[in-house]
Amino acid sequence: MSEAVDFKIVEEPKRPMAMNPKKFGMWLFMASVLMLFISLTSAYIVRQAEGNWLFFDLPTIFVVSTAIIVVSSVTMQLAFWSARKDDVERVKVMVLLTAILGLAFVISQYLGWKDLVARSVYLVGNPSGSFLYIITGLHAIHLVSAVVFLLFVLYSSFRNKVNSKNTVQIEICTTYWHFLGVLWVYLYVFLTLLR
Amino acid sequence: MTWIISLGAILVLVILYMIFKIGNLVGLVKGKKEEEFSISWNNANAIMFMIFMVVGLGGFFWYSYAHFDEYTLPVASIHGEVTDSLFWITMWVTVVAFAIIFVVMFWFTFAYKYEKGRKAAYFADNHKLEILWTVVPAIVLALLVFRGLRVWHEITGPASKEAVVVEMVGQQWLWMARYPGVKDKTLGHHNYKLIDASNEFGLDLTDKNSYDDFKSLELHIPVGQEILMKIRAKDVLHSVFLPHFRVKMDAVPGVQTHFKFTATKTTAQMREELNNPAFNYEMACTEVCGKGHFSMKFPVVVDTQEDYQEWLESQESWLKQNPDYLKYVPAELKEAAMIKAGIPLDNTVTVQTAAIK
Amino acid sequence: MATIDVHPQTATHHHDEHGDDHAHHGNFWTTYIFSEDHKVIAKQFLFTGMAWALIGGMLSVLFRLQLGFPEANLGWLKPILGGWLTPEGKIDPEFYLALVTMHGTIMVFFVLTAGLSGTFSNFLIPLQIGARDMASGFMNMLSYWFFFLSSAIMFISLFISTGPAAGGWVIYPPLSALPQAISGSGLGMTLWLVSMALFIVSSLLGSINYITTVINMRTLGMSFTKLPLTIWAFFLTAIIGILSFPVLFAAALLLIFDRSFGTSFYLSDIYIGGEALPNQGGSPILFQHLFWFLGHPEVYIVLLPALGITSEIIATNSRKPIFGYKAMVGSMLFIAILSFVVWAHHMFVTGMNPFLGSIFTLLTLIIAVPSAVKIFNYVTTLWKGNIRFTPAMLFSIGLVSFFLTGGITGIFLGNSAVDIQLHDTYFVVAHFHLVMGSASFFGMMAGVYHWFPKMFGRMMDEKLGYLHFWLTFIGVYLVFFPMHYIGIAGFPRRYYTWTAFETFSGFADLNMLVSVAAIITMVAQFIFLFNFIYNIFRGKLAPANPWNATTLEWTTPRLPGHGNWVGEIPTVYRWPYDYSKPGSKEDFIPQHIPYSETPESNLPHENDEIKLEMGGAGAIVVEERKH
Ligand code: HEM
Ligand SMILES: [Cu+2]
Ligand SMILES: [Cu+2]
Repeated sequence: MSEAVDFKIVEEPKRPMAMNPKKFGMWLFMASVLMLFISLTSAYIVRQAEGNWLFFDLPTIFVVSTAIIVVSSVTMQLAFWSARKDDVERVKVMVLLTAILGLAFVISQYLGWKDLVARSVYLVGNPSGSFLYIITGLHAIHLVSAVVFLLFVLYSSFRNKVNSKNTVQIEICTTYWHFLGVLWVYLYVFLTLLR
Repeated sequence: MTWIISLGAILVLVILYMIFKIGNLVGLVKGKKEEEFSISWNNANAIMFMIFMVVGLGGFFWYSYAHFDEYTLPVASIHGEVTDSLFWITMWVTVVAFAIIFVVMFWFTFAYKYEKGRKAAYFADNHKLEILWTVVPAIVLALLVFRGLRVWHEITGPASKEAVVVEMVGQQWLWMARYPGVKDKTLGHHNYKLIDASNEFGLDLTDKNSYDDFKSLELHIPVGQEILMKIRAKDVLHSVFLPHFRVKMDAVPGVQTHFKFTATKTTAQMREELNNPAFNYEMACTEVCGKGHFSMKFPVVVDTQEDYQEWLESQESWLKQNPDYLKYVPAELKEAAMIKAGIPLDNTVTVQTAAIK
Repeated sequence: MATIDVHPQTATHHHDEHGDDHAHHGNFWTTYIFSEDHKVIAKQFLFTGMAWALIGGMLSVLFRLQLGFPEANLGWLKPILGGWLTPEGKIDPEFYLALVTMHGTIMVFFVLTAGLSGTFSNFLIPLQIGARDMASGFMNMLSYWFFFLSSAIMFISLFISTGPAAGGWVIYPPLSALPQAISGSGLGMTLWLVSMALFIVSSLLGSINYITTVINMRTLGMSFTKLPLTIWAFFLTAIIGILSFPVLFAAALLLIFDRSFGTSFYLSDIYIGGEALPNQGGSPILFQHLFWFLGHPEVYIVLLPALGITSEIIATNSRKPIFGYKAMVGSMLFIAILSFVVWAHHMFVTGMNPFLGSIFTLLTLIIAVPSAVKIFNYVTTLWKGNIRFTPAMLFSIGLVSFFLTGGITGIFLGNSAVDIQLHDTYFVVAHFHLVMGSASFFGMMAGVYHWFPKMFGRMMDEKLGYLHFWLTFIGVYLVFFPMHYIGIAGFPRRYYTWTAFETFSGFADLNMLVSVAAIITMVAQFIFLFNFIYNIFRGKLAPANPWNATTLEWTTPRLPGHGNWVGEIPTVYRWPYDYSKPGSKEDFIPQHIPYSETPESNLPHENDEIKLEMGGAGAIVVEERKH
């Protein structure tokens, strides 16, 4: 084998491409979440095509929700950039702000539900309403999970573990947050167009 | 019964134990030899594959030939003859392919069983071969499918205006047939909220067309005339299956499905053909629907057109059988309803009207 | 030149220490129960899967007793079945449906998905790509324990008084939504749904891990074109899983809402138990679309790993490269993609739009082509081989045979016009048991026989393996082949008995044969069980590479510890199928042997690979070596 050692150097194999496994795992997780919503929205389309579909307007407050979630994406991104620049204090502020906006979004969605109930659109009844509750509800649950994730990031930042050398956690969190934001925008547009 | 099973089990266990013991003993006797790869067992397995191939294929062909009449159902509908022929064409094509691959594969296992010192061929790919066996199956399959699609298109196309309409309703665990009646030849509306113990169809008696509808616990259809079967279910999924007519369609609560077909042989003709005076057509359920799924039998009779007409006219309308329900008929339609339903127009009218609160 | 060498060395060195010192720590709980080692987790999946296989098999024997011997008095089963026997000693018709449902669920999900993928993806991915462990050992552990929890709940559901779910493994509503319709749709169905939700979580955790590991943790030189087909199969299976299981989750979620919260996604116009339900506007067909959107990919989730395992074993034991490596990968890829667009072939007679039926007929027939290609490739791999019939090889050949037999009938079923008659008859039962059930089961068996030496460091008994194979192989054919005839004769599936119909009154003999064969096949599995358990403890010690195979797992010690390789992880230079290469003395060249060490057997383009790196001087080195 001693001879062989020489040759090994000669014939160097290519290093396989790689990405941070955690980041990659998050992408896969998002793929499956996306499938969940794609299947629900396809079910929505299929069911709607069969007729007997109750028409009602989306709660107007969903516009506010959408605005909130867009802004929260901005703050999240700022937090990430601050982490890269080692601006730890700003990371804390921005992460906290994002989390608060996240909760505001969930509350706004809840107000939307109350609005629906006030207009006699219930979970139980015509599937057109049931779908709306389930789709927005599932999205809100995912958003709450992202807020929990944010709190972990916040905790790490207080322990000085979020900085330009440790960006993986906050980067994954940012990705997830943007994903949920885009997902909501997709859902909102979808629900608006397909009444 | 039980003892046969337990005996079999014990027998197998004993054989097992013996083989294991013998294997060990032989190993002991042979001593070191045991370490080596056993050529004789290898050959034994190869030979077994050959035996399996011959006996297996032989058994398959023999049974398929000898018991042909047992496992093929006579066919009695126009489209059924077409799909059957497609089935058998597919069968011929695939059986030839199957037999060739089967034989070749097991032959290879035998011919290329391990031999000391022989070196296997380093044969990693061959594009011509691969393209060939991608393209050929693709073409054959395409031909089969195109025939299939044409047939499918015809079967699922719209029924003609003259088709005889029958409604099949599935519920746990029986079928009911509803005929549109001789007077209007149109099925009346139904609504599941109107269903009760007597009004099993949920007939909507505000619809004129419902008055002469009648219920039957036998499916009567005329030979040689297109039937449009409308299908629905009251509780869970069921599926109409008329094996001799190659008809199958799910019955779905909340949705109406349908299937059109034309019977080609009356029950009497079929009895003659099969030489079985006891023969009857039957309808079954093929979508699991609970405890009684296996017992949802519904008798089917194919009549000559004259017999069918006669049978039709002999049937009493549902309303006539359930005159109580006249009270749900709007007052202005009552007389028409009674005429259509074949209820004699005597003083019952006043009695019935009085009954409404 | 030496400088190039340093880089990978240091990179792996760090891992080594990490790998080694773990092996000495840990107590019983962290080593065997909540282990994060992929090999232990694989074994946990295997044992659980085997337990489920036994339970699932027993259930099938029970309902085969009913079908084969409708007159028999099963009173002797009273101690086990209790109230599920009628006073005459017959199985209760509703319990019959519960048995069928549980059998299907258990076999498809718990045995052939978790038991097969869970075992072999976990065991082989790190070992064959040259990684110390999975990307996330913790998630991997969670994946098993979610599966365990899911199993426990499903198991408990077998014993509740209203019985387990009984609406078929496809749980079509309204039957599965209404306890009034069948008692299994009460608590039993709730437990089924909870169990499956956990199962989906487990499967997603596993799949994410498999994909991440394959993408990111391959050893030096292990490019995608050098991956063993097993890894390709596990990789594609995991991708299918990630994309399809969420859809089942969505379907189940809506069903849960219908069952428990009064929504009407799947329910409409129902009159049952003397009352009209308020639900309106739902569509049972919607559920079927969602279910089969998972359901069809699921059959490939079950089958692809088995095909991967078989490819590996057939090549190794034919002492030949697998024929058409690229075509094999290509067809798996093609199958994986197409499996998402054929689902509605399960729904030709649901009343769905006939035009859709045509589209799905076309797409379905397309998917038959790559399947055929795979068969041809297997057969050609055998050609001019030097075949060793190890038990693993026997089971692999068995798989190809089943795949062929069962695949052929798919061509009938995929043709919508022909499917009208065959749908929901025993013909379908024969089709999918051969092509999916038996084929995948044989793949799993082949895998166990083949990798047992690496899993437990000991050898299984070959002769018992032969006996097990022949009894099972012939038994399976005797069970499922006659079902084609029964199906052509129109016998519907999920029937408690056929005696109610004149049309279906024949074939008592054939049904009895099937049942007897099923019992014998079931009993034959105890041979395996004995062989397996006995040899875990008492088997002959295995050599490190008992089958003279080329892939990386055989470069590990006899019983690899935590971290898999004692020293450095080997580097990969060649594809995994260099068997019987012309010029080479040995009939196999493992993946970690550089081309520069085998000048006698290199193909021209392989020599180029050396020269390229050498910048022109390579030719000299190669010649030197020849002296
Ligand atoms: C040659 C390619 C294949 C074709 C054309 C094909 C076609 C079909 C069709 C049309 C059906 C529906 C039959 C019916 O219910 O009426 C079916 C059922 C089924 N197939 Fe295949 N199939 C093929 C290969 C496979 C493979 C490879 C697997 C599994 C690995 C598989 C597993 C199943 C299962 C599990 C069912 C029945 C599900 C149920 O109703 O419970 N098929 N197949
Ligand atoms: Cu049924
Ligand atoms: Cu399918």
